[in-house]
Amino acid sequence: MTSIRRRMIGWLLVACSLLWACGGIALYLMVRAGLVMEFDSALEATSVAIAPMSEYTDGKIEFDSGGELMPSFEKRAARPDYFQVLLPDGSTLARSPSLRKKELPLGGGRVDPGAWDLTLPDGMRGRAWVSRFTPKTDEDAPAPEGDPGPGEVTLIVARHRADLDHQLTMLMLAILLVGASTSGATGAVVALVVGRGLRPLTGLGVRASAIDASSLQLRFPTEELPSELLPIAHKLNDLLARLEASFARERRFSADAAHELRTPIAELRTLAEVSLKWPLDGEAARAALNEALGIALQMESIATNLMALTRCEGRLLPTRSEIVPLAPLMDDVWQPLSEKARAKRLSVTMSVSPEAAWKTDPTALRTIVANLLSNAAEYSPVGGTIHLRAEGSNGGGRLTVSNTTFELARADLPHLFDRFWRKDPARSSSSHSGLGLSLAKAYAESLGMRLSADFSGPEELTVELSGGSSEGLPAR
Amino acid sequence: MRVLMIEDSARLQSSVSRGLRKAGYAVDGARDGIEGLRLAETNDYDVIVLDLMLPGMDGMTLLGRLRARGNQTHVLVLTARDALESRVEGLSAGADDYLVKPFAFEELLARIQALCRRLYHRKDPWIVIGGLRIDTASRSVTLDGRPVELTPREFMLLEYLALRRGEVVPRAEIEAHIYGDATELMSNAVDSAVCNLRKKITPSGAEPVIRTRRGMGYVLEARTA
Repeated sequence: MTSIRRRMIGWLLVACSLLWACGGIALYLMVRAGLVMEFDSALEATSVAIAPMSEYTDGKIEFDSGGELMPSFEKRAARPDYFQVLLPDGSTLARSPSLRKKELPLGGGRVDPGAWDLTLPDGMRGRAWVSRFTPKTDEDAPAPEGDPGPGEVTLIVARHRADLDHQLTMLMLAILLVGASTSGATGAVVALVVGRGLRPLTGLGVRASAIDASSLQLRFPTEELPSELLPIAHKLNDLLARLEASFARERRFSADAAHELRTPIAELRTLAEVSLKWPLDGEAARAALNEALGIALQMESIATNLMALTRCEGRLLPTRSEIVPLAPLMDDVWQPLSEKARAKRLSVTMSVSPEAAWKTDPTALRTIVANLLSNAAEYSPVGGTIHLRAEGSNGGGRLTVSNTTFELARADLPHLFDRFWRKDPARSSSSHSGLGLSLAKAYAESLGMRLSADFSGPEELTVELSGGSSEGLPAR
Repeated sequence: MRVLMIEDSARLQSSVSRGLRKAGYAVDGARDGIEGLRLAETNDYDVIVLDLMLPGMDGMTLLGRLRARGNQTHVLVLTARDALESRVEGLSAGADDYLVKPFAFEELLARIQALCRRLYHRKDPWIVIGGLRIDTASRSVTLDGRPVELTPREFMLLEYLALRRGEVVPRAEIEAHIYGDATELMSNAVDSAVCNLRKKITPSGAEPVIRTRRGMGYVLEARTA
């Protein structure tokens, strides 16, 4: 598996090695050029020393070393130097004793001053310097009248380059050795630095791998993270928070759904099993059957609501659009609830404009309003208040249901429209299953409306239905 | 045997209680956690059937408080929560058994019986005393190989005395475990039931296996098979 650490170390090592290699090569070439230049300068100096030994006298060019030739030109020298003087016609005027009868090559016809590499007469590698000069004229034997002069002679000086080559080889070995050890050290330093630099990322990875469905409460610490990783950590923390909330909602939904669905089944099954084992008769049997009917009706209500929710969310509900006057609708829906409101001594006010009417699906709107009013009547405390308001105009419509609540807190608001959500963790009441508000919201959305809830006072909850799209807007 | 059922569903509590009473158990009921805790702490129950989602005080809190106060009554959790973590949480908090709704009543009954046996350190469902053989699983009794017809309450009385055989069981304990609160108006109910039971399980001409210790209670003699 590729890792960023390995990849970075690899690339950095390759880059550093290339840099070191280029540096080494450049250093070698520079030193080599200096050494060769120095070698050539020595050859040139030797050439300058030999040139005055040629003299033009009596119309002829003569070479006279005067017995002052350097010992390195002698035959006996271990690695002798060589020179050869060529007349303008190419014939040899003089040569070093070390050259014996042999010739020095002219470097492919080169006659300009300069140096080149060659194979010496003893078969070894060497370097030669060629220069052209005019021999000096003997002042005691001047040239006869009309003599054209000596012309230019060519001097070739050659020397073994074994010492130079040895120096260059040693230089190369030194550069290679330093380069190799530096590359090794660079590798270790790069690994250390990369490891240290990637430590926050590694830590992030270790922490991420420790997170599973059972530890979604964990968060990535951001205090010591480098700035490059901070956005990632923040995003991951946000994601974890959403996942945790989602899992919690899912668990709550499963537990709530299990309770809502399993409890009536358990009631029905036990009632049937016990009645079969110890049969009832008369009034007791009738009571048991009534109980079974009550359970069946409760289950039917849950099933109907769940089916309606599914249809709403799948946009499978047939809708028709017509003008729905709000006042008669709210009066009609409130009528069956008024008795319960009286029993709880609820103070109810209804403020609905007589001409308020919305163009929408009447059945869906009735379901929404019925759920909102039923919830208000059910959950308002004894002696509480309920305010019903509705208005409609061409610009938009609003229907609000406000009721006193002592139990709900602001933290409950995000869950109000969750399926099966109930404030009471025991879910004791069998008349409400916790599907009403989620169903109302699904209906509202299917009509292009918006259903929201908020506190309109310290102990007053307001649920608002507002028209959001042109299809759902009031007609007049 | 006396069972406390703490369940907020009135329908479920009514059906289960009726079934348990028909099976010979004395049953008390509570609809919320606070009342359930009060009953559990003031009475001596053989088994508590406990729902988890309760008004007033949830089942887990109730169970934790019971165990924290040293109450060792066997608790069977009866709940709609079927998730693995809920089962583990319930059993870890001190529950002795866990049953998920919906359930078969026979299974609930068998589990309650098993918990009752465990209370008296028995694993097998048979109690054999001389020629008397009591099958606590099938709720049947044979005397010298012949079946003996007992009412559920007589069976519970015999089972209770048999589980504590050789031990004098006070009348008050019998009333509490077999009759619950139903004996308040019939102070001689235990004596009458013991008398009837004695007739049914004593072979003709033999010494009765259930003896009366005047002023103390009743003892079922521990004869070997």
